[in-house]
Amino acid sequence: MSALAVARLDLKRLLVRPFAWTFAAIALAVLAWTFLLDLNTFLVAQPKLVANVSGPGFTDLVAVPQLLAYVQLCVLLAPLVTMHALAGERRAHTLPLLLAAGLPPTRLVLGKFFSALLFLWVLLMVIALMPLALAHTTTPDWGQFAAALFGCALCVAALTAIGIACSAFASHPALAAAGALLIALILASLDIGARASGVGIGWLAYLSLPTHLTPLLHGIVASVDVVYFLLLIVVALALAVRRVAAEKVRG
Amino acid sequence: MNLPSASPLLQLDRVSRRLAGREIVREVSFSLNRGDVLGLLGVNGAGKSTTLAMIAGVLAPISGVVRVEGCDLHETPELARTRIGYLPENVPLWPELTVCEYLDACGRLRGMARAARKAAIERELLRLDLASMAHRLSGQLSLGQKRRVGLAQALLHDPDLLVLDEPGNGLDPVQTAQLRELIRGLSDQRATIISTHVLGEVEAMCDRVVILHEGQVRHDAPIATDRGALDRLFLAIAREYMVESAAI
Repeated sequence: MSALAVARLDLKRLLVRPFAWTFAAIALAVLAWTFLLDLNTFLVAQPKLVANVSGPGFTDLVAVPQLLAYVQLCVLLAPLVTMHALAGERRAHTLPLLLAAGLPPTRLVLGKFFSALLFLWVLLMVIALMPLALAHTTTPDWGQFAAALFGCALCVAALTAIGIACSAFASHPALAAAGALLIALILASLDIGARASGVGIGWLAYLSLPTHLTPLLHGIVASVDVVYFLLLIVVALALAVRRVAAEKVRG
Repeated sequence: MNLPSASPLLQLDRVSRRLAGREIVREVSFSLNRGDVLGLLGVNGAGKSTTLAMIAGVLAPISGVVRVEGCDLHETPELARTRIGYLPENVPLWPELTVCEYLDACGRLRGMARAARKAAIERELLRLDLASMAHRLSGQLSLGQKRRVGLAQALLHDPDLLVLDEPGNGLDPVQTAQLRELIRGLSDQRATIISTHVLGEVEAMCDRVVILHEGQVRHDAPIATDRGALDRLFLAIAREYMVESAAI
């Protein structure tokens, strides 16, 4: 119940600030523009695509790139949305109020996580609606679209959890945002060199975000990929909980 | 009149706390019963705020126990949620919320039901003369108004123990007089502990004083016994503090 109270409070605070609306508007405008560009490319290429029955379709060329573009934007957006979660409370001297309310650190962190995640997931749904709006005139691959949406939702949740963990450790929201951005960029480009040279490095590839997101974007739901994202979320949130619990001890 | 219970409402038993490698509070012990108004007096850096943060459950002591009606506060943090109201030195406000929204959020965090929350908000808005600013953003209030909103937050769940850290800071004389009257009015049903470095505040509001210096209890006695002695003792401590500061 108290996690819900924290989530509700944070969501309310997020939505009354122009900051969140500005980012949402910018994200939607950028993605609406890329959607129109992708759609135009698809329409131009359609006569050629019709000839190839097993070739890429609307889902591969318009819908999935749209979702992927949002995840790429979330590498920046998630740190900005989560940076105030705990570092901001600490800076504004409101963390003692939350701790004095007897909230266990787990509920406090979960509440913060779910409020930021809900905001980013709602944006994901709005962005998913753009290609879905054309579903009646095209023949989307629903299975692939659902898997890609699921993968993007998991990836956004992982980026949010990293943001919350950085916010728990940082003394200033800007440091939290920079830390989360850096970690997300490292995870996104960890095996970029190996990929470019065609060399597969097992553990490096396993740690890399694209390794686990790409199969989901292609419609392949494998438990190894789902577990990777869940592990990332659990580890990041557990670190955040530990740091908040240590707040009472360290001061 | 309040009947004494088996254990005091609040009991600090040899409580110590370190911050940044320095012992801020050293084996502090005192107790408090319902109806008591205790002044925690001390110069800056004496350990008052740290002691209050431990009483409110915000910080954990490195040794010793804080008990609320016999239960260890840090083993049962639920006690802090239901029995203690805390106003820190820096009023904790979310400036983007209105006073009403802020109090509602505080009530939710304390687990209050919707009807109880609504009634409590109305009660505190009236009691603290905040009704006219209920729909103003809390970030736009004056310091005195912010302190009153902070006090409303601390009283919202009708706590048995009220912990106020320097509540008079930054208030004008009229607001200070109102605050003193309010605190005296609140003390009948609950125990109140107030930290300050102003001797006059303690004399005006409290019936007992604990003087802290360098994290240790230097004096613990009822106010009425000998006010002159209390003045002299506190002045001596203040001079000691000034000499130490000059030496540093």
